[in-house]
Amino acid sequence: MRLPRVDRTARQIASKIIEAEGSHMNVTKIGAMALVGAGLVFAAQPAGAQQKSITVSSWGGAFQKAQREAWFNLVEKELGITVKEDTTSGIADIRTQVASGKPTWDLSTQGAYTCALLQKEGKLEKIDDAIINDPGVPAELKSSHWISQIVYSTAIGWRTKAFGDKKPTGWAAFWDTKNFPGQRSMRKHPLYNLEAALIADGVPMDKLYPLDADRAFKKLAQVKPHVLVWWSSGAQSAQVLQDGEVDMTQAWNGRIQAAMAEKEGKGGKLDITFDQQMLVSDCWLMPKGAPNKELAMKALAIMMRPEVNARISLFINYAPSNLKGFDAAVIPPEKLPDLPNSPQNKGKGFVMSVDWWVENSDEMVKRFDAFLQQ
Amino acid sequence: MAMSLPISIRSVTKRYGAFAALDDIGLEIASGEFITLLGPSGSGKTTLLMVLAGFIRPDSGEVRFGDRDVSLTPPHKRDVGMVFQNYALFPHMSVAGNLAYPLKLRGAGKSAIAERVNRALDMVQLQGLGERQVDQLSGGQKQRVALARAIIFEPRILLMDEPLSALDKKLREQMQIEVRHLHQRLGMTTVYVTHDQREALTMSDRIAVIDRGRFKQIGRPRDIYERPDSRFIAEFIGESSFLPVTVRDGAAWIGERPLKLARVPPGAAGGHLLVLRPEKLQILAAGAADGLNRLDGEVKEVVYQGESSLLYVALAGGQQVAIRQPATSAAPAVPDIGQPIRLGLAPSDTIIVPADAAP
Amino acid sequence: MTTDAAPAIAHRPAGDEALNAGRYKTARRLEELALGGLALPALLLIGLIALAPNLWLCWLSFYGPNGFTLAYYERLLHPNYMLTLKTTFELSFLVTGICMALGYPLAYLIAQSSQRMASLLLLLVMFPVWTSLLVRCYAWLVLLQRRGLINTWLGDAGIIETPLRLVHNFTGTTIGMVHIMLPFMVLPLYAAMRAISPDYMRAAANLGASPIKAFWQVFVPLSLPGLVAGVIIVFVLCLGFYVTPALLGGGRVMMWSMQIERTVTYHSDWGAASALGVVLLVMTLLILWLVGRLVGFERIMGSR
Repeated sequence: MRLPRVDRTARQIASKIIEAEGSHMNVTKIGAMALVGAGLVFAAQPAGAQQKSITVSSWGGAFQKAQREAWFNLVEKELGITVKEDTTSGIADIRTQVASGKPTWDLSTQGAYTCALLQKEGKLEKIDDAIINDPGVPAELKSSHWISQIVYSTAIGWRTKAFGDKKPTGWAAFWDTKNFPGQRSMRKHPLYNLEAALIADGVPMDKLYPLDADRAFKKLAQVKPHVLVWWSSGAQSAQVLQDGEVDMTQAWNGRIQAAMAEKEGKGGKLDITFDQQMLVSDCWLMPKGAPNKELAMKALAIMMRPEVNARISLFINYAPSNLKGFDAAVIPPEKLPDLPNSPQNKGKGFVMSVDWWVENSDEMVKRFDAFLQQ
Repeated sequence: MAMSLPISIRSVTKRYGAFAALDDIGLEIASGEFITLLGPSGSGKTTLLMVLAGFIRPDSGEVRFGDRDVSLTPPHKRDVGMVFQNYALFPHMSVAGNLAYPLKLRGAGKSAIAERVNRALDMVQLQGLGERQVDQLSGGQKQRVALARAIIFEPRILLMDEPLSALDKKLREQMQIEVRHLHQRLGMTTVYVTHDQREALTMSDRIAVIDRGRFKQIGRPRDIYERPDSRFIAEFIGESSFLPVTVRDGAAWIGERPLKLARVPPGAAGGHLLVLRPEKLQILAAGAADGLNRLDGEVKEVVYQGESSLLYVALAGGQQVAIRQPATSAAPAVPDIGQPIRLGLAPSDTIIVPADAAP
Repeated sequence: MTTDAAPAIAHRPAGDEALNAGRYKTARRLEELALGGLALPALLLIGLIALAPNLWLCWLSFYGPNGFTLAYYERLLHPNYMLTLKTTFELSFLVTGICMALGYPLAYLIAQSSQRMASLLLLLVMFPVWTSLLVRCYAWLVLLQRRGLINTWLGDAGIIETPLRLVHNFTGTTIGMVHIMLPFMVLPLYAAMRAISPDYMRAAANLGASPIKAFWQVFVPLSLPGLVAGVIIVFVLCLGFYVTPALLGGGRVMMWSMQIERTVTYHSDWGAASALGVVLLVMTLLILWLVGRLVGFERIMGSR
């Protein structure tokens, strides 16, 4: 199960207890750090005595396992190197490593928002043009210093019983409590909510940014009385839907789909729509001063190849960021409708602007929190 | 006296399971009397006091204050003063606050309270200490405040539960006299509980000796001391040695030696004991014959105690007795250890009690 | 026995050094040192664990990228934080008040019970403390939610038609927090009540106080140190509470601690988060100081 970066940091700081998987992280991390330490000792030995390696960090858990199966094994085989793994809990790791002047990671998985922020702070190495220039990866999913590796979306999930034959087809329906009566759940964060509000208010998806915050909050106030739970973790967003606490929720597609597959959600009790979905991504970045820059860049090039990048969908419910991957016949056709950016679902939504949020996040969160408490 | 009430305790029984703390007990206390309940710990004396105060409800019997049956009256309506063993002064109130509390409860006016508090402080010689906190007081001062609090609302009955036991000896003796004076001045009926026989002797009009929930003997201090009517009393009050004697022909016989008696005791199934108080025995010069009962023996041990010496003497029959010899120059010289000695005992001091411990 | 010469009282010639005085002083000093040495690890630990991080927190809150700054405190003037402060205090007061109202009679009952019964009751009171906080919060969720046990029962019994909104709001948060805090109120209260000699109540009755008057005028004031201790513990814990409001508040009950978490999570802004932490710390100390002034610290700490 995957969550974007913001959530993971939350988990590390306070809600470790809320997310069961969080507890494994430290153990893995300590183990991985021990491995890295051992690697450093070996690295000091004469060249040739030891196989070359790069160190990659990610979220751990099921997602990192999928990365290992889909990507790392291939890289090891092709380059004849070892891909050492570590786990990260977010932006602070990169900041600390770069500040120390001797980062231990060559590549790291982070949320796109973090990548954009770190680039702005000048903490990242530039990615080779050859990789960045791959037209398969949409421009919104990359920058000169980072590139998205997977894509997921924030979509609408609901309890089918609540609305009979009617199906919500976007954020206007989410706001429409007459035709779709029942409690709602939204994220306890302005991200997604402001976009959803503006779309519900009639702003076209390609004209959202820069966001009209005043208008968005005004619209948000309309739905506020119907929002029973402002969720703060992905698990919670699915839980309230499964428990029947709410009838409609805004959540990550992976969460809704996982709930649909579980006992409580099976048999069409829950449903999801990708209409007006908001695409979000996780990216690869290279910390400034990474120890094995060249080798890591080679590894990144391999992982971003369309047919390799698409392999991730074989092991976990996430979509490739390189759209050419959908042409590579790697992903089984029956899986395509579940992936937010597959040819079937492409064009139903839009990509979130990390740049706008990097600039406005602090102010928006404060304003949103005040809005929640009023 | 107008300030006091008689107390009547009739057939009061209180059981805790099989254990009878009070076993069908009865006592009439006269108005204005100072009576002491004396007994070893666990004898039931405190239980009886608690019954009087209303904290313990007996299983059966009746308690009357004057002509009022208070058996079912809750403690706060009994209007009796009480001094607790640990004083039970309220630590969250000042001295004056403690004294004023019962007056406030009775709805007295502010100025009246202030006046009476001052008078009470005067009475127990604590002038000017009204604003002190309770924990700033010495033991003796606490004792006085507790006393003042118990009498400030002019109860006609005062109960005192070993009130002096926490004080050191000197202070205790001083307070004994003060309490006595206070009683004489105020005249309320006072029931005083103690396990200290000397205190009981010092203070009481009457002493009621209690053991295992029953009264053993009730009487004036002098009677209790001089004429104990059981071995228990003689043992519990004062020091005593006991000698088995046979009562026959108006005399007590130790073997073939008769002792003259002032009072011939009633017959006892288990035989009789001679009670020997150390201070009642005196050393007789050889050959002296002065109407005293005589006991012969040998000095075994001499213990010098300052104001007096204690001699342990083995009698001809083998029994050991103690004699107290005052340290005056007029007293006969103490014989050396191992020397024969003759002891004299006045017939009026020759006390005979039944030998069996049972009542 | 008599002695020929008068016994000598003083054995040393005047002006001389007291006999062997030095070695007693040395022995005493050594003993003091040994005692101090024993306490040293604990003192170091306290300094390291309690003091150092707080100083570091303070430092972080004043030290920005360009040196000393008040920026982190200035941003706290945003209405968002004022609202959170209000919520935090409201909830803390409410929970403390309810804990007081529920905890006092409970502690009284336990204190009046026999030793055996008291142990049993205390065990029951303590039991929740040994259960995971999270488990308890989820248990409340199961009980209180729209299709939870309580709403189901009430619905089945025909008492209500539409489910009550018991959770994901202020109500649910309050219920959950009271449940968690109650033992912290009951324990100091119980200890204080147990220490009140029954003689005080007897004395009050003897002096003419009805049971109700004796309770209010004597028992309650004497139990006050325990009450104050309980109130302080509960209130201060409430101020910093996170998990229960997060889980049962439906996201709309914002506590100060959640603002700290959000600041770190969403902005990785340690300076701002530290400022929030410092404010919480200062508020807590202020309350302790205030109560200390009002009641006296010895009484709170129970040294009486």
